[in-house]
Amino acid sequence: MSKVVKDLQRREIFFCITRDLENHQLFAGASDGRVYRVIPECEPPVFLGMDGHRGYVTGVICARGCVISAAFDGALIWWDPVECKPLRKVPAHARWIRGLALSPDESWFASVGDDMVCRIWDTESGLLRRELTGHAPRTPQHFPSMLFAVAIAADGQQLATADKVGKINVWEVSSGAVLRSIQAETMYTWDPKQRIHSIGGVRSLCFSPDGRQLLAGGMGQVGNIDHLEGKSRMEQYDLERGDLIHAFEGELKGLVEKLVWHPQGQVIGMGGDHGGFVQIYDLSSRAIVQQEKTAAHIHDFVSNDAVSRYYAACHGRIAILE
Amino acid sequence: MTGIRSISRRRFLGTGALGSAAALTTRGLEQVLAAEAHRQGKHVILLWLAGGASQLETWDPKPGRPTGGPFQAISTNVPGIQISELMPRMARHLQHTAIIRSLNTKDGDHGGASRLMHLGRRDEPTVKFPDLGAIIARELGRTDSQVPDYVSFYTATEGRGTSLGQSGFLGARYNAMSLTQEQLPANLRRLEQISEIDHRARGELRDTLSDQFMRGRESAAAASQREAYQRVPGLMASEKLFDPSGEPLSMRALYGETLFGQQTLVARRLVEAGVPFVKVSRAWWDSHGQNFETHLELVSELDQVLDALLTDLQQRGLLERTLVITLSEFGRTPAINASLGRDHFATVWSCSLSGCGILGGSVYGKSDDDGNDVAESPVAAGELFATIFQAMGIDHRKEYALGARPVPLTNPGSEPIKAVLA
Repeated sequence: MSKVVKDLQRREIFFCITRDLENHQLFAGASDGRVYRVIPECEPPVFLGMDGHRGYVTGVICARGCVISAAFDGALIWWDPVECKPLRKVPAHARWIRGLALSPDESWFASVGDDMVCRIWDTESGLLRRELTGHAPRTPQHFPSMLFAVAIAADGQQLATADKVGKINVWEVSSGAVLRSIQAETMYTWDPKQRIHSIGGVRSLCFSPDGRQLLAGGMGQVGNIDHLEGKSRMEQYDLERGDLIHAFEGELKGLVEKLVWHPQGQVIGMGGDHGGFVQIYDLSSRAIVQQEKTAAHIHDFVSNDAVSRYYAACHGRIAILE
Repeated sequence: MTGIRSISRRRFLGTGALGSAAALTTRGLEQVLAAEAHRQGKHVILLWLAGGASQLETWDPKPGRPTGGPFQAISTNVPGIQISELMPRMARHLQHTAIIRSLNTKDGDHGGASRLMHLGRRDEPTVKFPDLGAIIARELGRTDSQVPDYVSFYTATEGRGTSLGQSGFLGARYNAMSLTQEQLPANLRRLEQISEIDHRARGELRDTLSDQFMRGRESAAAASQREAYQRVPGLMASEKLFDPSGEPLSMRALYGETLFGQQTLVARRLVEAGVPFVKVSRAWWDSHGQNFETHLELVSELDQVLDALLTDLQQRGLLERTLVITLSEFGRTPAINASLGRDHFATVWSCSLSGCGILGGSVYGKSDDDGNDVAESPVAAGELFATIFQAMGIDHRKEYALGARPVPLTNPGSEPIKAVLA
């Protein structure tokens, strides 16, 4: 499934990608502050840039006829996906936004940013519904922390967030209460001696379809934190007990940036270090059954309806994998 | 090696000047006295950002450019000067600060570049030059001082080997008191088993033996060693300066709870007590992977430390006599690699100078739109060093005599950048 069937090389870095199911097009957020409408099937492929953000665009979702994007400028923008024009801009976070997650019924979505707050937004009105605060703004070593990841369970009742030091909070959406806190400490490397700073953090989250398990992706402990040289890592948690079921450590180095539970039961993870990788985890056998390198670091991916084709947002390209 | 003595073309700017006042020919005694008085009580604090801090995430942001990274530029309290949004506190101190944005030092190797930016030039096969700290110690230190002349902190292990102080031909007298493992200098306390009387008697015996050894000999190394021992009582008494616990909690919080913050607070205590040169090394900035997260950590820390230090020095009336430098061995590439990192880059990068002798609110040099090349006024290491010496009231053309060879403080042709000098 790591066969590249199309490689759309660009000068931008793409951090996020989503599909507009109605119009059969992609939207990808990039390092130049633009959200790109991408039609890969055209020759040459269409990349139509939409201006509105300042800073890297790190989250994009399609919901109820709109495209919604988030960026390092702390803003959310609602776009008309056909006209490619902004409909609404909301100042959402005091610091850089790291990601978005859409609820199953598309009525709301969540954003996470380095102000260490998860905010829940009404998709149609753009109004703030709730704020979830429970991640420390500073690391134990007194440096700024970062809130990297957010995911929503299939029933829309639970939401998970994860930060730089490996803290994962599972929230009850209706009340805003923390249902469980998990510490994935292996994914945070603090070097107290050689370099005196840190690297890592939980970069991706994914609920099991029944909502009873949570997967967290990142990188294991790193020796030389100048580089992404830790082994890729995915941890599987039982949410009822809060226990670690299994830690999958890949042969390939780098961050697991995105995790998706495949309908057939396996889990797909993508990410990278200087290059990229695709990994397939078999949870029943507790094995990584496939791990292959790709040409570029993958920051995000989305699949087609049949879950047979993947569109990956990469460093310097959009790649289509099968 | 024979004795090192300080001379100059005009034969008066060295050796404390006063003793050779009779030899003055081209300047009057009043000028020498004024120059001497001008130099006294001046200090340098070098914040050494080991590993190579990114100019794009500090002093020379390029928001909106392909090379600019995710962070924006913010305005400072000096109209027209912008710095990275990672430095909101420092943005309030630009009236005291000059930014040089056009360093072109041509060496992208940690080891060679670090030596270059410590020495301002290259060692020669048979000559080891003194580094910036040793020269400042030599020029601004006082023989009767009760405190060290040159203190260097480098706690992280990465890159330490190429960032160690070097007194070169000036001799061991001007070596740094180097702190690597602990906050407090090692072996500074008198051993409990030795009484004060015994300790003093040992010193007197050592002096006697040293005098006998020196009789009829001319040895710079032996003289330097004897001078070092003569400073021992003062150094032992200075131990408390290295302990920041005597500072109010509010002051400690101002500098931040990190090691770098607390060591910089100690640096302020040291210069306040008269230490001419303190280097606080903050390693390790070598962000080949995840440059932006690394700089979010380290620039945020630097911002707090700089804000605290400049505020503190100003409130104590020390800023006009203290030069605060931020400097690395090189900068980082404008190109962002596939690990979201930046690599080594010495073609155009930045440093800052704040306080003593500096024209605040100035920016010198310019990088091109994407930060790939110098667009205006390239600056080499020697010119930066000449500027630093000039800011401290030290003539960069002054020469030391290395045997029969006159050795200027900076290589010939290295002129100070007048545009950033007060």
